[in-house]
Amino acid sequence: MGTKRLLPAAAALSALLLIALALAIAVGSTSVSLRAALDGDPTARAILFQLRVPRALLAALIGATLAVAGLTFQTLLRNPLADPFILGVSGGAACGAAIATASGLARIPGLVPLVAFGGACAATGAVFLLARRREYTDPTRLLLSGLVLNAFFSAVILISFALSRQSDLTAALRWMMGTLFGATWSDVLLLAVLLALAMTLLAAMANDLRMLAFGEDDAKSRGVDVERIKLAGFLTGSIVTGAAVAVSGIIGFVGLLVPHLIRMIWRRDFRFLLPLCALGGGVLVVLADLLSRVVLTSSELPIGAFTAVLGVPFFLSLLRRSR
Amino acid sequence: MLEARGVSFAYDGTDALRSVTATFGRAQLVALTGPNGSGKSTLLKLLARVLAPQAGEIVFDHRRLRDWPAKEYAKNAGYLPQDPDPTFPMRALDVVVSGRAPFLGRFAWESAADYDEAARALALCDAAHLADRYLDEMSGGERKRVFLARVLAARPRVILLDEPLASLDVSHVQQFSALLRDIVDRTGATVLYATHDLNWAAAYSDRMLVMQDGALVVDDVPAEALRPERVRELFGFDAEVIESNGRRWLVPRR
Repeated sequence: MGTKRLLPAAAALSALLLIALALAIAVGSTSVSLRAALDGDPTARAILFQLRVPRALLAALIGATLAVAGLTFQTLLRNPLADPFILGVSGGAACGAAIATASGLARIPGLVPLVAFGGACAATGAVFLLARRREYTDPTRLLLSGLVLNAFFSAVILISFALSRQSDLTAALRWMMGTLFGATWSDVLLLAVLLALAMTLLAAMANDLRMLAFGEDDAKSRGVDVERIKLAGFLTGSIVTGAAVAVSGIIGFVGLLVPHLIRMIWRRDFRFLLPLCALGGGVLVVLADLLSRVVLTSSELPIGAFTAVLGVPFFLSLLRRSR
Repeated sequence: MLEARGVSFAYDGTDALRSVTATFGRAQLVALTGPNGSGKSTLLKLLARVLAPQAGEIVFDHRRLRDWPAKEYAKNAGYLPQDPDPTFPMRALDVVVSGRAPFLGRFAWESAADYDEAARALALCDAAHLADRYLDEMSGGERKRVFLARVLAARPRVILLDEPLASLDVSHVQQFSALLRDIVDRTGATVLYATHDLNWAAAYSDRMLVMQDGALVVDDVPAEALRPERVRELFGFDAEVIESNGRRWLVPRR
């Protein structure tokens, strides 16, 4: 029954995603023809298959990951304001990266993503332990711990930046603003595998997760192992967010905005929203990344600004139309 | 069928239930009353398996509650918390069909048969016309019906309701009380509901339980439960008891 209405929605969003991907691959500062690339022109091949295609795919994966994590946190915490970043995940990642910058370790290639991922995991663990009391995790304490830790991380980041060398700061700032510049096929592969695992896990928990919407007591009375679901959902959402942040830096708004956008169009439960959020998040970030590349010819603008520029007007118009 | 044997529970060292013993057979409408904080909600949560007893035992069909697989017990016992709220807007029929969740496999979606059960439950609650409406655009009375239908969608044998009549106006209290009576008579389920409305409880229920400070102090037919000296002792006010058509009604003395 439910799946009958899901398929057309998923098909529509998939089509949108394909169009967005095609646009992102076709448009750029240099014009390349697909024909030339297929005919073996080495420059065209390199631009398409080493730069634009992996970058477009990575944008889609990052968007899907952040939107799915946002949906999961909003469902788990029964709070429309929850998103992957409010819970301290991004703050932890940024903090790790900032310390690496200040200490000069960031100059070692490939170290920033690793440190950022470590920071995200440490923050996640800290937030969860802080919110846990007598085998019960209180959603309000979880949000509050995340907010307070984020404030602490901001302070550490500022101090680290004050101690950093001027030449290291540019790269650090670029990362903090989020960028898909330099996306590689190995990033794409890593994130694709993680996202597939997370989606499978979340789909397996979906029947239980959506019952949390009615409150934890209600879910328990329906035979849901609430504490286990909260722990598994929180860890899954945090790990994929940590990986996304490690690869792309901090791209805000997607995790908060996309689940609400999707929910305003299709007012259904978690199982229904999960695939739609993945697709919708992909569309938003692919388009935002495209804009960030082409608005200025001289340099790239921060992609996080464009997820907001694209998403907020759409969000507000839907908000006005819905009751 | 369902039995609490010397059940106790404390929140962080504060006693909420003290050795409560009660037995529930089938097809009974049982009203659970008592002052605020007397342990009504806690008893319902223990019977719904939301909380586990710290002492004593709850037994359903000769099997201890903790030995029942969670989802299996959920098929037999339905629970409605005090203020259910789906967080995000949902259609009434989708809310009701989610009551079928204990019957679903891991990756399964509700089948047409589950939607039929949901429609049946809505009709039973006189709420068939609400199926396509959204909860956030309903009145309190309509929402209550939808949530009761959600409980009924699993066809439970035991139905536990935490203050279903709270915040309803008097005509809805009457309709809802009659609806509970009807459900017991038609489905043979046993309904245990917490309420502060002594007169309405007496008028419709088969049995009244009164709690005080975590203990079950009265378990009797309504006429006996509402004897004037008991009322003063339990609820702390002087009442005149008027008998009419074999029923007792409480009227407070000013």
